Amino acid sequence: MRPILLQGHERSITQIKYNRDGDLLFTVAKDPVVNVWYSVNGERLGTYNGHTGAVWCVDVDWETRHVLSGSADNSCRLWDCETGKQLALLQTNSAVRTCGFDFGGNIIMFSTDKQMGYQCFVSFIDLRDPSQIEDNEPYMKIPCSESKITSAVWGPLGENIIAGHENGELNHYSAKSGEIVNSIKEHSKQINDIQTSRDMTMFVTASKDCTSKLFDSTSLEHQKTFRTERPVNSAAVSPIYDHVVLGGGQEAMDVTTTSTRIGKFEARFFHVAFEEEFGRVKGHFGPINSLAFHPDGKSYSSGGEDGYVRIHYFDPQYFDFEFES
Amino acid sequence: MPTGDYDSKPSWADQVEEEGIDAEPLSPQIRKPDPVSFVLDTPREVINGNIKTITEYKLNDDDKTVKIVRTFKIETVKASKVVAQRKNWKKFGNSEYDPPGPNVATTTVSDDVLMTFITNKEDLNNQEEEDPMNKLKGQKIVSCRICKGDHWTTRCPYKDTLGPMQKELAEQLGLSTGDKEKAPGAEPEPAQAPVSKTGKYVPPSLRDGGSRRGESMQPNRRADDNATIRVTNLSEDTRETDLQELFRPFGSISRIYLAKDKTTGQSKGFAFISFHRREDAARAIAGVSGFGYDHLILNVEWAKPSTN
Repeated sequence: MRPILLQGHERSITQIKYNRDGDLLFTVAKDPVVNVWYSVNGERLGTYNGHTGAVWCVDVDWETRHVLSGSADNSCRLWDCETGKQLALLQTNSAVRTCGFDFGGNIIMFSTDKQMGYQCFVSFIDLRDPSQIEDNEPYMKIPCSESKITSAVWGPLGENIIAGHENGELNHYSAKSGEIVNSIKEHSKQINDIQTSRDMTMFVTASKDCTSKLFDSTSLEHQKTFRTERPVNSAAVSPIYDHVVLGGGQEAMDVTTTSTRIGKFEARFFHVAFEEEFGRVKGHFGPINSLAFHPDGKSYSSGGEDGYVRIHYFDPQYFDFEFES
Repeated sequence: MPTGDYDSKPSWADQVEEEGIDAEPLSPQIRKPDPVSFVLDTPREVINGNIKTITEYKLNDDDKTVKIVRTFKIETVKASKVVAQRKNWKKFGNSEYDPPGPNVATTTVSDDVLMTFITNKEDLNNQEEEDPMNKLKGQKIVSCRICKGDHWTTRCPYKDTLGPMQKELAEQLGLSTGDKEKAPGAEPEPAQAPVSKTGKYVPPSLRDGGSRRGESMQPNRRADDNATIRVTNLSEDTRETDLQELFRPFGSISRIYLAKDKTTGQSKGFAFISFHRREDAARAIAGVSGFGYDHLILNVEWAKPSTN
């Protein structure tokens, strides 16, 4: 395969995400621009300009009308997807680490960092209520005193959010009451990424403890473990096969002291059922920070510490490949 | 970071390889123009079947015209209505003034990569293969030319350091080191003897050898020159430590001089290595000349005495 190389960022990529139809790819990095690309040919549709700091997270609603981005400039911004205009600016006390739309695209969730004397909070805002945006007053704000949230996604049916913490804990926060419904600790270190399967029945975590784990999204029951020898920064589930792809590599701070060959910067494909690796794709010359499967499962993209995003369309060999145990 | 000047300089061997590869037709390719002057005009588009070719001419940094040929494959993709609608959205933000189609500044096609498949089958085969290998290990069917281990020379862990080429040299070395040990052992005894007997201060002029005048510096220097070898065709990345590692097995080294560029600090490709003993230097020449080091065949010879 010939990857399409997207060079829209000047600093390391923090998150990439496809929209529901998979025709657009949103990328954010530690620079202030949010980029959107046509996934089919890598053409850049536009940028959402306005942030003044590193952008940590991005999300797009189900119908690809609105885009949400959270940044270290202590703001979460809502954008019009088509025109790139800023629709709402939500000021926070500390950097916004994760953000997300619920199914309807009406309720947004974002979590802020424990920073500058402020606690880590998960905030919920109903976009249908203009006063909540104007007064910057979320209808619910859950404090997390113990360990800060490092990754979070909406759970199935928008009933709760699944949050991964710095200490490796996983929590279910109810979107209605704000209570912790369910809690487990399967990881020993920071959870860098959480991504759900397409039907949202399962989700996969990526942790600094060098493993990635698959959980049931309603019961938080641990299902499978994928082991590597490097911290995992991102993991994604294939929508069509029983495959997960893991991205990571050694920590960014150690990269300059070792060669790319031993850095293990490949994207690694694991079979879900057998928990075994079956394929690798090279390319980045830094650790992979974010991975995403195209919703049709025929391509995937990766964004790395090197600042590049690569769109890979799978070769026929990938589709012909059968896992033999 | 995706800036042009970030690219680290590849090894020259890779460069040669890259130059040798013909770009595939379905990739952006940049070709040097014929030595005819062109009018810089708007890009020309030629559509032939489902292949679109865009030809443009640009002036590069040296004011030379460069012809850029980009070839695209036109594909018709059936998509849902919303997707098709979105495809016609106007560009905005930093891409507002981009022409239709991917902008070369932000979108490029990268080199071909392949997914490397790891199958259990292979693992099993490997295990099976390993077993007979284990049996044969005692018989030593393969012998490494460098370290005499039972692996291929190319797989030798000391391949690049040349370390245990000393094994081969061990016999010769054994003789010379034996000599060395004897020589210093024999000498100091008579020298120390008078001092320990009297226990008095002996002025340097009266000490043993004091009658010989300050000849120590000059002749030694010349002796040094005699045991100096010149190594050429080194790669740019070579450091003094590499040379030390490479030549230490042959004998004690008194001095290593690696010619370096003043500004970049990179090696200029040659070095002088002075041994304490001329025999060691001779062995080093015999041992390393023609040795492959970092893709390059080293050339080692006696250093010509410096003119001054």
